[in-house]
Amino acid sequence: MFLKKKHVAPKATYREVWSKGDIATKLSFFIMGSNALANKQWVKGLALLISEIVFIVWFIFSGISTLGILATLGPIKSKKVVYDAAQGVYITKQPSNSVLILLFGVLAIILCIAMIYLYIVNLRSTRHNYILKRDGEHIPTNVQELKSLLDTRLHATLMVIPLLGILFFTVLPTVFMISMAFTNYDRQHPIAFSWTGFQAFGNVLSGDLAGTFFPVLGWTLIWAVAATATTFFFGVLLAMLIESKGIKYKAFWRTVFVIIWAVPQFVSLLMMAQFLDYQGALNNILMNLHWISSPIHFIDNQASPLVARITVILVNMWIGIPVSMLVSTAIIQNLPEDQIEAAKIDGANAVQIFRSITFPQILFVMAPSLIQQFIGNINNFNVIFLLTGGAPMNSKYNGAGSTDLLVTWLYNLTFGQEQRYNASAVLGILIFIISAVVSLIAYRHTNAYKEG
Amino acid sequence: MDIIKLKHITKQYDDGFVALKNINLTIESGKFYSLLGPSGSGKSTILRIIAGFSQPSSGQVFFDGKDITDLDAAKRHINTVFQNYALFPHLNVFENVAFGLKIKKQPMDKIKPAVKEALHMVRLDGYANREISELSGGQQQRVAIARAIVNEPKVLLLDESLSALDKRLRKDMQFELRAIQKKLGITFIFVTHDQEEALSMSDEIFVLNDGMIQQSGSPVAIYDEPVNDFVARFIGDSNILSGRMIKDYEVEFANNKFKCADGGIKPNEKVEVVIRPEDLDIVAPEKGNIVVTAQTQLFLGDHFEIKAVDANENEWLIHSTNGVKLGERVGLFFDPEDIHVMRLNESQEDFDARIEKYEGDENEN
Ligand SMILES: Nc1ncnc2c1ncn2[C@@H]1O[C@H](COP(=O)(O)OP(=O)(O)O)[C@@H](O)[C@H]1O
Ligand SMILES: [Mg+2]
Repeated sequence: MFLKKKHVAPKATYREVWSKGDIATKLSFFIMGSNALANKQWVKGLALLISEIVFIVWFIFSGISTLGILATLGPIKSKKVVYDAAQGVYITKQPSNSVLILLFGVLAIILCIAMIYLYIVNLRSTRHNYILKRDGEHIPTNVQELKSLLDTRLHATLMVIPLLGILFFTVLPTVFMISMAFTNYDRQHPIAFSWTGFQAFGNVLSGDLAGTFFPVLGWTLIWAVAATATTFFFGVLLAMLIESKGIKYKAFWRTVFVIIWAVPQFVSLLMMAQFLDYQGALNNILMNLHWISSPIHFIDNQASPLVARITVILVNMWIGIPVSMLVSTAIIQNLPEDQIEAAKIDGANAVQIFRSITFPQILFVMAPSLIQQFIGNINNFNVIFLLTGGAPMNSKYNGAGSTDLLVTWLYNLTFGQEQRYNASAVLGILIFIISAVVSLIAYRHTNAYKEG
Repeated sequence: MDIIKLKHITKQYDDGFVALKNINLTIESGKFYSLLGPSGSGKSTILRIIAGFSQPSSGQVFFDGKDITDLDAAKRHINTVFQNYALFPHLNVFENVAFGLKIKKQPMDKIKPAVKEALHMVRLDGYANREISELSGGQQQRVAIARAIVNEPKVLLLDESLSALDKRLRKDMQFELRAIQKKLGITFIFVTHDQEEALSMSDEIFVLNDGMIQQSGSPVAIYDEPVNDFVARFIGDSNILSGRMIKDYEVEFANNKFKCADGGIKPNEKVEVVIRPEDLDIVAPEKGNIVVTAQTQLFLGDHFEIKAVDANENEWLIHSTNGVKLGERVGLFFDPEDIHVMRLNESQEDFDARIEKYEGDENEN
């Protein structure tokens, strides 16, 4: 026996609701909540009604002007002295605070969107009640509605707080930052700025920053590839070494490397910066061994770009290998021993087994985490900032050194003397696009790889 | 022709555990062998020593008369099919099968036909470009066999190769393995803990327990004449009763004296008697050698499995094509040939020697 499917009320169009509904229903199209109130759903009705009233009051007294001023980001672009005819005196007019205007403007837009959403909710509930009434079914009472929020619709209730959090701490700042990329917010326009369209993008991609952007982008990509590949490859090699039969005290060796990893990154990076300093320990040791006659500039401002870049990659290996060793150890331990024996019967030697059995399988398992590491390295602020601070400076670059990545350059543009906030925003957007494109391509590629 | 010989092989693992004790066995070319024993009896250890993955603590391994004890696994003409197939998951079927040939730097125009032939042998034509993850368990099993036989080994070792398959597939694969072995004409050494599987497939079986070979011989010999109660119990269900030898060809058990077919045992010696459940015929109480009362009965599709007790509280297991009434007294009939007498703790050598002797006596008389 099949149970008869529960009766589902046929849908009604809003047109039908509008033409056939009673007064309260019709009124709902203008006064939110009136239908709910007419059906004695007091809490819902009042909530909707009050929201509408508050919104309209706010919109008239503040919203309109906030949104209006958003179009220009403030009327007064620079400090000026004007004659006030009414008082008969000269007064100084401060420039408009465009940051606040932009922030409130974005907030106002979000409020309007929220209101539109509430209006849709209101219409939906009106239609729902209309259908129930038309088909002669029970309309949930006030108490039932409230109870359902804690029962069948609990998920919706619970999501309210996280959603508000996302709205104010993620969506709002992101929209705010993105907006800045379309302004001329920089050192010349620190308080009042205006919309300038894609001008900032033009500056970065073909204007005065292009000469810095493309070389830095190139180095960022080289760095991300090199940093990811070296730590992965040598991590796997190290894991294989520790796991190989001849090695004793495996746990001890593993622990040694874990300790390196357990030291907070900024501590080890600052220590490394000291160690590699022109007057640091490494140069002293090398001099005492008479391997070099004068100290080497590894990472300071007089260093050669190539030496500094290689040094950065090597230091990053030192930091990154332990992690990748730990992960690959777990994978190696789970690789079935008999696969390796099967390869041995076929006459494969250790190198061939590593190349065609072990390594591809580790790569296979770690591909997703490698993509993540790659993106992480594109944005690897710590290593560059703490180790070299971008040094050596590059006279051809605008606000960046030879080891600067896009992110550290972005930081310089914001907090350095440049103060090109709009350009930083553009950089942020571009970094996001690059990361997104790279990960999409890479994930698709690994998926294709898996499915053959 | 002998192809593999193990001489006085013992194996002690690093932790001191002695897994094999003085193993001697001879494998002839072109036959299907089974190593049969419960889990932990040392079957895999023997196989790994033959394959060359593991070194015996003492003793020697001979291949074609040459001592290969220290020879590298890759240089032996022996290949292994692993229990979990050990296929390379990142390679497709073709690449898996071709792996060994590629390592041996064979040219591609030789590899292709060889792989095709091997896949044909295991009836996987047209599967060359499949990924391993797209194959069923039985198909993966076949790929593993193809990967092993493409190297044209003289001996193929299979470690519990069928235990991961479900029952039906397992039956099919048993036939197929046997067919492949016949077609290739090479030696198979098959490890299993399933006595039915061993009995149905093998030319010869080695029964292992506790790192020692308990008995070796054809399936029929092992089934009909187990040398000790371990083998008797392990190879199928049986009735094992303690008894006493009266004289040659007469034995006492269950408080009765019976004629039997065994001799060469001292009079009055304590022995154990084995009677297979399918050798017991249910007859009227007065016609039986012994009278029992049926207690439980199970229908197993092609026969009934009946449990009964006699007057001395001995349990009897009977396989019969016809059922009985529970609680009914029935007679059990068996021929003297159905009784198999085992001496306590007799090794296979002593057993063989004894049989030799009294059968010799018989011929003289
Ligand atoms: N590497 C090892 N170290 C110590 N003991 C082992 C090792 N491998 C197997 N054994 C022991 O040797 C015995 C026989 O093992 P094995 O040959 O794998 O048995 P089977 O294949 O018959 O189940 C078992 O008791 C097992 O615990
Ligand atoms: Mg085993």
